[in-house]
Amino acid sequence: MLAITNLSFSFQHRRLFDRLSLTANSGELIHISGPNGVGKSTFMAVVAGLLAPASGDIEYRIGHQSVPDRRAYLEYLPAEANGLYIKMDATQNLLFWAHLRGVPLSREAAFAALDPWNLNHPLLRDGFPVEKFSTGMKRRLALARLDLSPVPGWLLDEPLYGLDADAMRVFRQRLETHLRKGGFALLISHDLAPLNGLITRTINLSRGVKHDG
Amino acid sequence: MFSVEDKREFYAGALLQFLVLAHWLGAFYYAPVDIHQGQVYRIMFLHVPCAITAFASSLGLCIFSIIGLRQRSESVMAWAKATAEVGLLFTILTLATGSIWGRPTWGTWWTWDARLTTTFLLALLYAGYLLLHASMPAGPGRVRVCAVLGILIFADVPVIYKSVTWWRTLHQPPSIIREGGSTMDPEILWTIVVGIVIMCLYSSWMVRVRGRNILLTGQLEAASFEQLNG
Amino acid sequence: MMANAWQQYRALVSQGVRAELADLERLVSPVLFAITLLLLFAFAMGDVDDSLRIRVYLAETMLTALFALQVSFARLFEPDRQDRVFDLLRTYPVSHTALFLAKYSLILILGTATMIPTLVFGAFLNQTANQHLFSWSVVGISLLALAGLGALGVLLSAMTLKANARQILYPLLYFPLTAPVLLAAVQSSRLCLDGGRAASDIKAWLGLLLGFDCIYVTLGILLFTELVDES
Repeated sequence: MLAITNLSFSFQHRRLFDRLSLTANSGELIHISGPNGVGKSTFMAVVAGLLAPASGDIEYRIGHQSVPDRRAYLEYLPAEANGLYIKMDATQNLLFWAHLRGVPLSREAAFAALDPWNLNHPLLRDGFPVEKFSTGMKRRLALARLDLSPVPGWLLDEPLYGLDADAMRVFRQRLETHLRKGGFALLISHDLAPLNGLITRTINLSRGVKHDG
Repeated sequence: MFSVEDKREFYAGALLQFLVLAHWLGAFYYAPVDIHQGQVYRIMFLHVPCAITAFASSLGLCIFSIIGLRQRSESVMAWAKATAEVGLLFTILTLATGSIWGRPTWGTWWTWDARLTTTFLLALLYAGYLLLHASMPAGPGRVRVCAVLGILIFADVPVIYKSVTWWRTLHQPPSIIREGGSTMDPEILWTIVVGIVIMCLYSSWMVRVRGRNILLTGQLEAASFEQLNG
Repeated sequence: MMANAWQQYRALVSQGVRAELADLERLVSPVLFAITLLLLFAFAMGDVDDSLRIRVYLAETMLTALFALQVSFARLFEPDRQDRVFDLLRTYPVSHTALFLAKYSLILILGTATMIPTLVFGAFLNQTANQHLFSWSVVGISLLALAGLGALGVLLSAMTLKANARQILYPLLYFPLTAPVLLAAVQSSRLCLDGGRAASDIKAWLGLLLGFDCIYVTLGILLFTELVDES
């Protein structure tokens, strides 16, 4: 489980959130809500390990034991970027990120992972650099990488960005499976309709104070 | 109107300034005339303290950088920046006084002496440090990057010095300072040592004033942001 | 789930090599740049006395290699700067030492691929009937220099990642810091080419190079960790 205690963060002398606490357990989909600019993406970045908090603790615990590096249990999906090497093709990207986590992914397995996202076409998956992908295709590739990742915690910042209705359906299925298998996710999303029924809890970041929804 | 601390700082500065001038004047009248170089050599009483200070600043920069890196502290890096600025000032002074000596003594404004060359490179490094500082927005990123550069600069100075010394031994150029304390008049030696001490104190005072200045600017910025955000 | 550092190193290096091969321009431009510079130097120097030829060859070639390496080094993290790849890397449990060594290995490969053509082409342009300037000792010395230059290059590249005006800042910081390497490389190469005398002098310069390399690879690994780590 992910345990966040008394988290505070300031950016250029402005306190974005103060003494925020939250726990995420298996099977939970926690929606982080709030108006634009309140600090949702920043919060996600802090949890992911990109930014250091001013104070507070973020721990990932297995049982009662806190793990040394929570990044081994979390996968981050940024809002307006996908973290893809744009000069490499889809398969190379999937292989690289999987190998970085120690997952012995094979090419065939990578193709199979691209399948549900409609990217398994022989002309798309191989030799076709990601920079030539459309916005939606890039996002789908990033979601494919997310799905392949063996970690229990997903940190999703606007995952539906650029997706068409089909892709949103696929994402909902994969998310459901992930939660069912004991994973959890923190979610920021403007569009909640496709994820109706999955959200277990909402946390509102207005004015840096947590309101349990 | 002025705090006690400000007053103390002012008087300390005035005292040190007086000491610097007093030492300089004393050097003119007290130290003997050099057989070989006449009156011109007296510039050494400024040149050597400036050089020592310039190099000592790199040590100061390194120490502040290590502490700032450990503590991830912007305020410590303010002191580092002040040290870099003072270091730049003194490298320029060292080069200028070295030039002023070189001209009447060797006939050239510049010589590839190991100390001068190293000082030149050090000046470039200090300038680069300040440019790097200016080119990054304030924040933890800048703290880390500048701290790393501060450490790198200090680590490089001995290597630069050694390499230039070896380079110049191939050509036996004139040296700015005669090697060997035994050939140096004790009066001259002591005058230089006193000069070094005074200059180090003076530059430390400068660092302190400038460091507080930088910290204050940061606080003002923070206050203005608070005003903006209500 | 976490890969061990070696697996991560391998993944990072193969990705880096692939990025270079995918965009052939990245491999070719430093070499083309070097050749252009050598030509410019030749024009600026004009006809050179035989007695000075070795010095001119070394000066031109080493400087050209240094500038050409700049092109590669400053762009080392370019693939990672796009699409926030570097940020994502930081959210993965990647060993910082593995990341540094991967980038360092990449620089060694790229640097060698740039330096050797430069040395060869420089010798080609400056040779005379009496003086053949290409020497394997000089290649060896250059590679030794590259070892230190590369470590500093990776560190500096990571440092200037987020700075404005990084294109001018990088060389501005790099050249003063690596001045000893240039000195040592040129001096020891000259002693080698001049006819194998003063072996102790050569050893002293090589010792300096080696010392520089050790200091900067160590400092590189230590400080790189500090740079990339956010906590």
